[in-house]
Amino acid sequence: MSQAPPDRTGVDAHTAPTPAVDLRGITKRFGAVTACDSVDLTLSRGKIHGILGENGAGKSTLMKILIGLVLPDGGSIHIDGEPQQIHDPLAAARLGIGMVHQHFSLVDPLTVWENVALGEGSRLDPGAVRKRIGEIGDHYGLHIDPNARVGDLTAGLRQRVEIIKCLRRDPSIVIFDEPTSVLTPEESTTLFESFRDVVAAEGRAVVLVSHKLDEVLAATDEITIMRQGRVVEHLRTMNADARTLARAMVGREVSLRTERAALGLIEVDEADESLAAPAAASMDREPVLSIRHATAIGAQGAPVLDDLSLDVHAGEILGIAGVEGNGQRALGDLLSSLVRLSSGEVSVGGNVISTRTPGAMTAAGVGVIPEDRHDSGVVLDMTVAENLVLMTPQQVANRGVLDRAKLARRAEQMIAEFDIQCAGPEAPMWSLSGGNQQRVVLARELSYAPEILVAAQPTRGLDVGAIEYMTDRLRAAAAEGVAILLISSELEEILDLADRIAVMYRGAIVGEMLRADADLERLSLLMGGAAA
Amino acid sequence: MKPMMRQGEWLGLYVASVAVALGVSAILIRATGGDSLAVFDALIEGSLTGSGRWGLTLGAAAPMLLVALGTIVSARAGLVNIGQEGQLLIGTAFAVYFGFRIGGPGPFNLVVLLVAGSIGGALWAGVAGVLRFRRGVPEVLSTLLLVTVASQVTAYALGREWLLLASNSVGARNNVSEQLAEDNRLPNLNIFGNQIPSSFFLGVVFAVIVAFALARTVWGFQLRMLGRSPQAAQRAGVSQRSFGMRAMLTSGAFAGLAGTVMFAGGGFQFSNYKFVPGFSGNIGWTGLLVALVARERAMPAIAVAIAFGALRTGSSFVGSTGVEARVTDVIEGLLVLALLVPPAVMFIRDRRRARAATTART
Repeated sequence: MSQAPPDRTGVDAHTAPTPAVDLRGITKRFGAVTACDSVDLTLSRGKIHGILGENGAGKSTLMKILIGLVLPDGGSIHIDGEPQQIHDPLAAARLGIGMVHQHFSLVDPLTVWENVALGEGSRLDPGAVRKRIGEIGDHYGLHIDPNARVGDLTAGLRQRVEIIKCLRRDPSIVIFDEPTSVLTPEESTTLFESFRDVVAAEGRAVVLVSHKLDEVLAATDEITIMRQGRVVEHLRTMNADARTLARAMVGREVSLRTERAALGLIEVDEADESLAAPAAASMDREPVLSIRHATAIGAQGAPVLDDLSLDVHAGEILGIAGVEGNGQRALGDLLSSLVRLSSGEVSVGGNVISTRTPGAMTAAGVGVIPEDRHDSGVVLDMTVAENLVLMTPQQVANRGVLDRAKLARRAEQMIAEFDIQCAGPEAPMWSLSGGNQQRVVLARELSYAPEILVAAQPTRGLDVGAIEYMTDRLRAAAAEGVAILLISSELEEILDLADRIAVMYRGAIVGEMLRADADLERLSLLMGGAAA
Repeated sequence: MKPMMRQGEWLGLYVASVAVALGVSAILIRATGGDSLAVFDALIEGSLTGSGRWGLTLGAAAPMLLVALGTIVSARAGLVNIGQEGQLLIGTAFAVYFGFRIGGPGPFNLVVLLVAGSIGGALWAGVAGVLRFRRGVPEVLSTLLLVTVASQVTAYALGREWLLLASNSVGARNNVSEQLAEDNRLPNLNIFGNQIPSSFFLGVVFAVIVAFALARTVWGFQLRMLGRSPQAAQRAGVSQRSFGMRAMLTSGAFAGLAGTVMFAGGGFQFSNYKFVPGFSGNIGWTGLLVALVARERAMPAIAVAIAFGALRTGSSFVGSTGVEARVTDVIEGLLVLALLVPPAVMFIRDRRRARAATTART
């Protein structure tokens, strides 16, 4: 068999055009976890290719392999038909691969053109850089003032600067890693509309990594859906609709894993009946926790909570589902007295709680298992005993003087009760494993008999045994009458634990349903913002 | 790791690093034509063995210890107050102003001095505190820059008779305050033939109080929590603003108190019971070093302050051996460095051990 030399122009009358990127059998393992399991992906010139998947589906790892940030364990990479080894981002850049990152890498005090020029090895020519920014702006519809200070720009305009930074190097293959997680829907629509024509005309290959259904449907030509490190579906966008995508993205594993979830696959009308179908049983009682029209502005100036309202009743587990980055963290922080509301209010047991007073939530009886325990859950440099009374040292003190014996007794008792593996009450917190640190948090938060327990990503990073322990404890607490707000990006966890499910999208609750009525498709659609 | 082993490790590190510093100093002295043994003899005689030198050493150590205690309080709250030199100056200025204005009998006047000095230092630190907690200005910058302002302000006040300038000094070339009357001074205690200044005991008492408060009270617990994790502290109702502000004020009060005991205390003669320009004599900076070497713990700060005090009194004797003053400065610097090395080494070792422990588990 004769092998034809790779066709660099991509135009060949006899065969299909050589793909810009051809990934074959890419495999990457992190310890016991297989992030990518023999993934095949083909990117064509002039096309926008969407990669869709839940958190942890392997999308980002795959893109990191393409950009040279992660080395694959197996598989091959062909760029324009030629096999390539991409060992580092510089090698990727030489091959014409550019990436617009999910998180901004901009320097706030500098101007737009300074940011764009940053990291260029050559001599700085401000005039040329400004001119180039103007050209790119005209060409792609990405208009921006090159002399504006980046710190003054909105999230959408910053994203624009990131994209210009990438396009300035004229990459033939462009990767967008969840570029719209900070954009408003209008901003993302405008961005991709103007982008599409140019891409086709210039024969660039574009990848759009996303978990937003509507965005992928609107912007792409082809879609690859990943789940648990594998490609589960590949289809043309014109043949796809939100429902099939959602089904493929979530998969059937969920329904098999828990019996209760199997009930979820019932067809329901797509009409927005979410708020009209609240948990009938719990509506009879007064909610213990009630959040009304909560709005809070984040560090970037965009709202992190946007008119969010929810109720949690005693003895109930309300699960907050949603793709990460839709304000879940702010919700947890709000109930930890770490976020101030610009409008709206939080009431506990009928009393409005100030969001401006440190410790007000704890004092009102809100226990929190925070999303990032090292941030507000534990103090690593203090002892286990001290961490066990972190929020209420007064309880082991007489007239402001700590009673060491009392502290130790109490710690030993809690260590035994929650089976915390540690060298003793005086062991430094950092010497404990993650699972045991989480047990310390759980033990402490339950120790002051809270009326409300917020559990934010409570099982993240824990092993199977620890996960089971945590879920059992949460169930037991609910059975004792604690109102539990479970914030999780793991849909399975929510389906497994919650009595009622609310979906969070862009800082607001966009839908709510009883667990018994839960419908995976509808959940996925809501999480993707499709029905919002 | 067993505590005994740890203490052995500490001791070994200190012995080794001081030995290296002395070795390098000896080479330096030889190279400049001096007699290294004579120099070391002078150091020891000047700080410890010479007649009455113990008292001087402890007198020099007292204000360093007080400054260090203040530094420890603010550091535990996560604040980097490095402007003690300025807080000390303003505190002393307050003490001098109110001390002479209010007057009164000896013991009463002494109390006025100490209280006014503490308040003055606290207010100066409070300026940085307000900037930090109302305007978000990093305290590490504001406290440092306020040192310069403080020295200008005190120099100005020392040139004005209605402020600090002694009334009989018209026409005198130096701007000097009045001398503190003998019965208004902090007394010395005669112990084994040494005049031990009471300021040192004041420092020790405060060290015990600070150590106890930090380790055993709810206030100390919350302060440590604030320093280690402001987010957890805020959840627990420990407001960064009010707790941090109070820590800052306390820190400044200690610096002001340090200045007052330099002014009113016996032992090491800082300026003959007068307030003069440049009065602080780097005690504010040295106190910072004391806190650093003591790794921000109050009780070890006592020993470290004595060591630094000895270095100061001892080096005043070295000049008599004929060694150049510049060489004396280098020796002093080397010994200070020697005291700073072990905590740094232990910090790095602990880090590595902690990391090894975590990786071993996962």
